[in-house]
Amino acid sequence: MSGTPADRLSRREALRQGSAATLAAARALAPALFAGCSLGIPPRAKTVKVGLLHSQTGTMAMSATSLRDIELHAFEQINAAGGILGRQVVPRAPDPRSKTDFFPRRARQLLDDGSVAVFGCWTSSARKAVLPIFEEAKKLLFYSVQYEGNESSPYVVYGGMVPNQQILPALDWLASVAGGLRKKIFLLGSDLVFPRTANYIAKKYLATKEMRPVGEAYVPLGDRDFSGVVKEILASGADCVLSTVNGDSNIGLFAALAKAEVDPAKIPVMTTSIAEDELRFLMPEQVAGHYAAACYFQSLDTPANQMWVDGFRKEFGYDRVTGDPMEPDWCLVHLWKKAVEKAGSFETEAVRQAFRDGLEFAGPGGPVRLDPKTQHTSKFFRLGRIREDQQFDIVHASPEPIVADPYPALAFPGWSVDWTKGGITRGAEVDIDGDV
Amino acid sequence: MNLFDPESWYWLYDVPPFRLALLFVTVFVGFYWVGSIVVRPILRQFVKYTPGSNDIVGYVLSCFCVFYGLLLGLIAVTAYQNVAEAGANVTREASAVSALYEDVSRYPEPYSQNLRWLIRDYTRYVIKYAWPLQQQGIVPEEGTIRIQAFHDQLLDFEPKTPSQEIIHAEALRQLNELLAARQLRLYSVKASLPGSMWFVMIVGAILNIAICWLFDMRFLTQLMLGGILAAYLGIMMHLIFDMNQPFRGDVSISAEPFEALYKRIEEQ
Repeated sequence: MSGTPADRLSRREALRQGSAATLAAARALAPALFAGCSLGIPPRAKTVKVGLLHSQTGTMAMSATSLRDIELHAFEQINAAGGILGRQVVPRAPDPRSKTDFFPRRARQLLDDGSVAVFGCWTSSARKAVLPIFEEAKKLLFYSVQYEGNESSPYVVYGGMVPNQQILPALDWLASVAGGLRKKIFLLGSDLVFPRTANYIAKKYLATKEMRPVGEAYVPLGDRDFSGVVKEILASGADCVLSTVNGDSNIGLFAALAKAEVDPAKIPVMTTSIAEDELRFLMPEQVAGHYAAACYFQSLDTPANQMWVDGFRKEFGYDRVTGDPMEPDWCLVHLWKKAVEKAGSFETEAVRQAFRDGLEFAGPGGPVRLDPKTQHTSKFFRLGRIREDQQFDIVHASPEPIVADPYPALAFPGWSVDWTKGGITRGAEVDIDGDV
Repeated sequence: MNLFDPESWYWLYDVPPFRLALLFVTVFVGFYWVGSIVVRPILRQFVKYTPGSNDIVGYVLSCFCVFYGLLLGLIAVTAYQNVAEAGANVTREASAVSALYEDVSRYPEPYSQNLRWLIRDYTRYVIKYAWPLQQQGIVPEEGTIRIQAFHDQLLDFEPKTPSQEIIHAEALRQLNELLAARQLRLYSVKASLPGSMWFVMIVGAILNIAICWLFDMRFLTQLMLGGILAAYLGIMMHLIFDMNQPFRGDVSISAEPFEALYKRIEEQ
């Protein structure tokens, strides 16, 4: 390159002017281009993970999938309103496939993945299988299904009904004039922890009443052959059945009852594990006229419930239904949210501390209060008669929410729990399979 | 951060499209201009006393540009084909879901209602949960559970009439079609051009720019002409980068086929 001095001068001058212009342009454009040094990248929302531990395949899927959905619905609403403590909730929902031994693996997977709390389990076997994992990890499990009581853990919040909120009032009603003054009851259940313990408590309770158990039978979970059991019921002379049969075994139970032409007016089944969701899988003509004991029914005629039902159906489809334990599950999510907000932290101990004053939430089924002593919720008892349209007529309701007693004295003398004062007080060991 | 790992650069997909294009152009033009000031005087030493050096450099640049242009063009086409193929798979999957929904609608109750409900649940999951994950380059896993739940329910049904047998067989065929298309969609989430290809493209761009520094011309002319070439290279790179991941960036596949299907199902 051969340039004159004038050229070199102009190049130098150009260089100087060009550099100045480039710097000026960069300075002017930088704020617009790289605002906040983020290149305009929208800040990633802060998140917090929660686990949803429900069987989505297998025998319990027909019941448990709806719990997953109502939890997703709750978290979607919470996220839309800004999340919890400014964080978006990211739900993770692995599938324990209705197998008790899969639950601990999935629970560990969720906790290892960073879930701050887990909502889940249906059967008591599953809950008991994961309990040590939550106690070891010091994380909270929120359990929304009715269960047998006789258990307390500082790391479990129990949102479902215990026998003094469900089974005992149901027995009272069966023995009342409205219930047909029943005297002889057949106790039927899946061969699981809940039915066996619930029936033990029921037998203890019946010993103080005029009603008496005339038979007791258990079937393996998932079993659908009830022909033998129905023969047993008829042979026992029972005038009512208390059923704690879980999952899709109910299809077989009601089919067998219908086949044996059992009239619900003469021998009604009082079930504890059938809600609107399960009715979708049952033949309406086989179940109509029987009864269910629950804390909530979709047919509850209140504006709050109507709004809740509409919101769920708008999101998940107009053929979807709500029921117990979806409603307690919804309340548990909101009680957890309240506790976290009150604690200002997702840390387990801080959240548990927030329980101490007794949290309350206005649920679709009525007000729910978390008892800090037992970490159980108070709730209404409601009794519904199954209609042909797969809904319930509410035939009875408790006047007030009933406070949960996980250790009813008649069945577990000497036992009590108070997590605000030292925890569990132990009485004599009780053999639930022993004679009553 | 491994600079040669394509995933290290995926945060760029979070930059709004116009700004990302501007960023690519700025980087390429900036590189050229800075090199014109810093590197050019050194490189120019090699051709300084060669008569007709501009002709030689121009010839080399033309040859190089042909090869490099071909390479860029082919890569851009490949990237576009990847996006188009992934898009076709998404449409295929949504069509299979739609056909399956129609098939199970003809089942007797309560199977029909429950199967339709499970399909709706799957579609909702794909739109609300799977797509945002795919857009972050994460393979969504929970859809598999929903498909399994559907499969279990479908196999629970035992046809009792010849027409039910035909519908059931067709539903199973559609389910297989759905499974195949879904698997292809999941593969596409991580599909991208290999790191070696990006290496060749970037080295090619640097050489292209370096050859331009060898020209003997007025400085301002150099900045302007070379800048235009660098800007165009930046735009090409941006285009390829944008199409690199089928579910990320401005040129990406939307959940529109599933959204349309979900809307139709809801209306029913």
